[in-house]
Parts: sequence; C-alpha cells; structure tokens
Amino acid sequence: MKYIGKRVPEIHGWAKVTGQATFTDDLRLPGMLHAKILRSPHAHARIRGIDVSKVLQLPGVVTVMTGKDTPGIKYVAQVSDMYPLAMDKVRYVGDPVAVVAAESEEIAREALSLIEVDYEVLPAVFDPREALKQGAPQIHEDKANNLVLTIKRDFGNVDQGFAESDFVFEDEFSTQAVPHCNMEPRSSAALMNTEGVLQIWSGTQSPYFVRKEVAHVCNLPISHVQVMEIHCGGGFGSRSKYCEDEGVTALLAIRTGSPVRITFSREEEMTTTRIRHPFNIHLKTGVKKDGTFVARQMDLIVDKGAYCHYGPAVTGYAAGTAASHYRVPHFRFTGDVVYTNKQAGGPFRGFGAPQAIFAIESQMDTIAEKLGIDPLELRLRNANQSGDTTACGWQITTCGLEECLQKVVSSTNWQEKWKAEKTGRFRQGIGLATAIHVSGSNVFPDGEFSSIEIKMFLDGQVSVYKGSGDTGTWANTVIAQIVAEELQLPMEKVRLISMDTETTPQSLGSFASRVAFEDGNAARMAAIQLRNYLLESASARLQVPGEELQIEQGQIVYQEDAEKRISYGDAVFHSPRCVGHLLNSFYQYVPNTVRLTPQGYANVSAAYAFSAQAAEVEVDTETGQVRVLRFTVAQDVGKAINPIAVEGQIEGALAQGMGYALTEELIVDPETGRVVSDCLDRVMLPTVMDIPQEQIFLVETCDPEGPYGAKGVGEIGLNPTAAAIANAVHNAVGYRAHKLPIEAEDVYYFLHPEKR
Amino acid sequence: MKKIRLQVNGTWRSGWAAPGQTLLEFLRTELDCTEVKHGCGKGDCGACTVILNGMAVDSCLVLSLQVDGSAVVTAKGLGTKENPHPLQKAFIETGAFQCGFCTPGMILSAKALLDTNPQPTKAEIRRGLSGNLCRCTGYRKIEEAVTAAVDYSSKNHGSTEDSTH
Repeated sequence: MKYIGKRVPEIHGWAKVTGQATFTDDLRLPGMLHAKILRSPHAHARIRGIDVSKVLQLPGVVTVMTGKDTPGIKYVAQVSDMYPLAMDKVRYVGDPVAVVAAESEEIAREALSLIEVDYEVLPAVFDPREALKQGAPQIHEDKANNLVLTIKRDFGNVDQGFAESDFVFEDEFSTQAVPHCNMEPRSSAALMNTEGVLQIWSGTQSPYFVRKEVAHVCNLPISHVQVMEIHCGGGFGSRSKYCEDEGVTALLAIRTGSPVRITFSREEEMTTTRIRHPFNIHLKTGVKKDGTFVARQMDLIVDKGAYCHYGPAVTGYAAGTAASHYRVPHFRFTGDVVYTNKQAGGPFRGFGAPQAIFAIESQMDTIAEKLGIDPLELRLRNANQSGDTTACGWQITTCGLEECLQKVVSSTNWQEKWKAEKTGRFRQGIGLATAIHVSGSNVFPDGEFSSIEIKMFLDGQVSVYKGSGDTGTWANTVIAQIVAEELQLPMEKVRLISMDTETTPQSLGSFASRVAFEDGNAARMAAIQLRNYLLESASARLQVPGEELQIEQGQIVYQEDAEKRISYGDAVFHSPRCVGHLLNSFYQYVPNTVRLTPQGYANVSAAYAFSAQAAEVEVDTETGQVRVLRFTVAQDVGKAINPIAVEGQIEGALAQGMGYALTEELIVDPETGRVVSDCLDRVMLPTVMDIPQEQIFLVETCDPEGPYGAKGVGEIGLNPTAAAIANAVHNAVGYRAHKLPIEAEDVYYFLHPEKR
Repeated sequence: MKKIRLQVNGTWRSGWAAPGQTLLEFLRTELDCTEVKHGCGKGDCGACTVILNGMAVDSCLVLSLQVDGSAVVTAKGLGTKENPHPLQKAFIETGAFQCGFCTPGMILSAKALLDTNPQPTKAEIRRGLSGNLCRCTGYRKIEEAVTAAVDYSSKNHGSTEDSTH
C-alpha cells in the first residue's frame, strides 16, 4: 500500500510549525466583544442577590448577565444539574455566577469587581465519604446524601466464586484529581448571524455534543446552531462532550448581537474545567492456588465534584475495564458517584480505566508474590485470548496481549532485572502492567455512528468532510491517508474539512479511541464507493469493462491498452452521478455493537486494543524520590495506519501516565475548597528533562473489523503506566503504593519509619 | 499609552503600548501576531516564546514599554513553505507536534539554542527546551526533530540563522 502504514507527515504541519493554525483565541471578528466570568469565591453558598448596577456605568462595558437573564435551562449531560450561570446557589469555588461582555478583556475583567453578590455561605463538604454521611451538607436539592447514583454490575456468581477460591485478596487504593492541562486554555467565540443561526467556534473533540448542548441551553432549534471549524489545542477528554463556557458565550452572542469571545485564564482552565475523577477503590479478588482468577469485586466511591457531567459513564467504563481486564468469570461492581463541593470531574484519557487498572495491576503483583508465581506468569495465565467474551460481554475478536507481554519481557531482560538483588542508595526496579481498551464505545443514547462525505472536483482533487474534531491526534491526516490510498491520489490532492456542523456529515466525535477506527471505516467505504463511481463512468466512456480498468494517480487506465485512459476529472464530468460538476460519495459507518444497558452487559465496541508496559525506575532511598529510567511498551494497535501518529499517541500517553503516577495532582485546600495547584508549575507536568528512555513495539493483529485492521490507539497508552511504575517501585524498595501520586515522602517514611 | 515600534520578522511595525501590558498582549492585540500563543501568562509554559534581540524570551514576562525599537522573531518569520527553516522541516518530518499550540514557542526556543550552539549535545538540547511545556507529544519527537535539524544544517554547511535576524 502506498499511504497506509506509512510515515506520512501531518497535513496541517506547515500551519502548526509557523503558528498559523488558528485556535479560537486567534480569531479576529469585526466588532468582537470580550467576556469574563465572575466566579464564586465560596465552595457552597446561596445567592441572596446580585447587584450589577455599577457595571454598566463603566465605559466599554456592553452587557452584564446573571442566571436570571438566561432561559434558565440546565445542560443535558448525563444527569442534568448545571446551569450556564448559577441561578440561586454556587457549589464550588469557581462556579460561574455572572458574565460581563466589554470592548476589551481588560475592561471586562475590571467590571467583574463592580458586581456585588450577596452570598449566604453554607457548610461545604470536600471528601466524598463525608458527603455520603447523614447530616452532610446537601449540595443538590434532589440528591439525598449527595449520591448522584450507584452503578451496579453483577455477572456470574461472585459469592460462589469467592467460596471456591483458595485465596482472597482485599486492598484499598485511592487516586487523585488531575487537570488535563491542555496547552490551549479554553476559549469559545460565538456570533448570531442575520439568518438567526448561532455560529460557535470552540476547540472541541465533538461538535455534535457542542451543538446539542448549546441549542438546548439557549432554547434554539438545533438546526440554528452551527459549530465552526477551528483548531483545538489538546483534548484528552476535557473537550470530548461540551465545555461550560460554550453556553455562556452563546447566550452573550444572542443578547448582544455581536460576536463575543470568552477565553479562560490559565487559572480558570486549571480550576474550573473538568478533571480526572479521584476514585476510592476497594478491590477483592479470589484466586486458585495456581493463580487462576475466579472472582473479582470492585467497589468505588467516585468523587464527582459539584456537577455530574459524564461521571456515570466514566464510572461505568471503569466497571467494564475491571470486568474485562484478564479473564475473570465472576464479577461484581458498585460505583457510588458522589457530589462534593469541588471542581467537577469529567472524561480524561482512559475514562476511568487508569484508576481501575492501577488497583488491579498493583494487586496482581501482591497476588503473585503471595502465591510465589512470577508476575509475568500470573498475567499470562489469566490473559484474554482472541475469541473470548469477557464477564461484561465484550467480544474480543483479536487479542495481542500475550504477544505484547512476551515482547516487553524479552526486550527488557525482565527476569534478570526483576530478580536482581537491590542494594545501595539508588535502587532500581522493574514493573509490568497491561491494559485493554475499546475502539469506540456504544454507551450513549445519541447512538454510535461516524460519517464521511467526499467530493471530487473536475480537477480530480477531493475534499473530505469529516464530522468529528481533530484535537491534535492526527485524526485528519489518518482519514486523508485512507482516502488517498483508496483513490490513489497524492496526499496534497486530498483536502480535509472537519467539524463544521453545517457542511460536514454527522459523527459522534473524537473520543473513546474512536476516530481512526470508526471514521476510518466510513472514509474507506466512502472512498471505495467514489472509486466505483469513477470506474463506472470510465467504463461507459471508454467502452471497456469496468473490472479491466485500473486507477492510478489521477488516471483511469484500461489494462489491455494503456492508450485508453481518462482522467479523474473527465470521469467526474461524464458520470451520470455528477451533480454540479461534483461527484459525491457519502458513507455512514455504524459498528455492529450493542448499546450498554443499565445492567452493563454488552459488546460495546467492535474491536479491543491491548497493551503491555514495563517501567524501570530508580529510587533514591535517602530521599524517597522516584525517577523513571525507561519505558518499554508493546501495544496491539491492530494496524498502524500512520506509525508516526501511533507512536506520538503512545509517547504522549506515557508522559501523561508518568505525571499521573508521580507528580500531577490538583490539590484542594481542605478548609476552603480552593484549588491550590492552580498553575502548570504547581501541577508539575513532566518537562523534557523528565522523559526516560522509551522503546515502543507496535503489534499488528489486523482486526477484521478495523480499517486495514486498525484498532483505537488514543487512550490505552496511559491506562497501565501508573501501575507499571508502582510495581517497579515495589520491586526496587518494597514500597507498595496504595495511592497516587506516589510521593517521595511516603516512600521515604516507608524506608525510614523511625524518622516519621 | 505610548506608541512604540518593533521590528517583527524584519518589518517595522508600530502600535500603542500601555503600562502593565506585556509584549505578548501587544503582539497579539495590537499587531495581530496570533502565531504567538498565550498559554499561561506567567512564564510556566513557554508557548509565547519569541526571540527578542537574539534571545528567546517568554513574551508574557516582558513589558511592551520596555522593548521599543527592538527586533522580534516569531515562528512565522522563519522560512517559507517552499524553503522552510531546518527546524520547521525537521518538526514536520519527525512529527514533533500534535495539537500545535506549543509548537511555535518550542521551535523558537530550539532556534535560539542552535543560533548560539549549532552542535548541541543531547543534554544541551534538553536544557534548551526545558522551559517549554507540551502536553501532547511526550517530547520525544521534539528532541528528535531538533537533533535532525542540527544534521540538516551541518549537511547544508549553513546555519539555522534565518534571513530576518
């Protein structure tokens, strides 16, 4: 193949290396207003009144808006509980209370200080276990004990499974909140055009969800909201559904009749956008003497923060992961999703899986140690295989897990390093962990679909219309490669138009490791269909059978007589399907999957990806500091359509996984609820100085349903990383991390209990 | 308010600078140089890096009134699509970016490094890029790209200097 599997450069490369890729804050619209949001300084308070009278006296202010000036409609989300602007209560430090639009950002910012809000401060609760107790402050009126809902799963017979087990292991784990830290702070711009269509620019993964939510909160017909094409400065899940500034920007555009933009400060980005949910995890696993898993029970308390967003889906996906990660016949799960007076969680790369896998893979090593089984052997013994159906109904068509494990082990000299004696001040350790992940996931009532439209012009070039966003994952490039391959066109003759809801066909969005797989299938089928149209037209024109024609670089050639040929453009012109000098092809791909039921048993994805990772660390026994020396990764990617893009996803995921394991944390002051780590410096993202050696192997299992065999690759690279590091730390110094991040202090006191 | 002049990518431009206004704000709002990205506003991320009188600086940490008459190079000022700067070529060929938001700053930090140290060691490359955060790539391809750019430059017997600077 010419383009598939090749290291094709990113199609937006020149725009990106020159800074000309336009992000929302780079837009320049005539008469554009700039808006700033007034946010709650209290974690929990009732709003008695808001006085905005002084604001409009400030020159340059165009409008001020509070909840009372809006239609008073909540976002749909999964549990509808949040207004674009607070109506009568604020529930976390940062809750939007009012917004000012002005001629400049400086004026808007100054105007916020003129708004007087009369708050009745209420007691607040920050720990989800406290929030569940009788008498805890109630955050939402309709949710007693702050319990949003409980996700339950029960497959097989867990009690019997534990009874039949030779050993039962029980452990507690906890994980921290992490902000996504997209390099582009949130920004959205909106304009009500003269036709009454609200146009909105928002760096998003899913224009489909943005349109739905904006139309809803603005009380507009969905046909009157257009999400516009714009670059997105990183997604990682935070922009996978909708962001809460989009509704506010849209309402301001309607109110003022002018283009309006809200761009968050870095502090707002860090302290008010959706984060990775902290989990408290109770994990119970029953095993036979030989290490075979019999039963597993996972009980979670999910710290939801103040609003629900997509918390239930994240919790449900943690359940799916726990039920499917290794063979386990009996499985039970409860996930209490609990409100607290903090910044709300939402989707973040891995969608609940990194938390669950940290617990499962950490306990795995404890089990191995107790049973005296090699950790590799224990994993191999319980590994999924092609053809398996997991406890929750995931049907694994192709499974490269065993191959991934063997690859990682053989290339790290694992056995020797694992068993090596650890002495001296700096001790090295190695740890293993694996992961499973979907390629698209059929869990939302909206459906599960991806569509691509291709138009070929008289010059033989094509424009490809793709409904999902590209947050920097190279999704657009991968789709362009597929079209170039099927139409045998050079890459520069394939133009990508993505995520404009008026011009591109509908796709659910780029999340759940979906786009290369589902949009990829749609692109491939649309391109094959277009190719068939060209052949059909050429066959009629050249008076030769279609099956004896060949397409190559813009020409359709008769195999028997190369003189008989016709250009793509001429084939378009003469095609009976040609409309307005264009040949159109559309394809909607709907995977053969089953929508997740409340019981949670369904084959939600058409293909499952696997990964094995080894982390090698060095622990300084005098400080407790952990440094990662090397990652070795083997990932079942199905087929790497673009190896650069796939490696990029894995390398980026490793850095995020390392940060998750060792440094990154959104720290909240337990007295005020205010976020302390409100800047990039305090959250401690890895820098280039922290990146260890990396060795990456792409295992190609060629899934029959994936385009050219491809599976999703976007998230799985992060899922096992924290667990691999935790296991390596244990191997180095014997410290078993039960919470993330693994802090030097905890390692130090473990090694020096007398110093505590 | 004071009218100031800046030589941006070789062209003299002028605009109104206000007390307290950063060079970043001046470039973006007065001159519409939107290729200079605003990532944090406090010198943590390096997305707003420009080359100011030959030195890479976080433009969010420089006041516009301080730099009247200075020369600024932004990512738009290096090379053309037909004749890209070695760093631009290397970033594209290596795939050293994903979302592209940190990329202009990253490239300018690398350029400032190579301008003063055309044959940096791996450790020097790392140090040169350590003020620029990237959340997408995990940095590995960025390091590879800078190394590749050094190779291109030495093969062409040229430097990574651009014509505007």
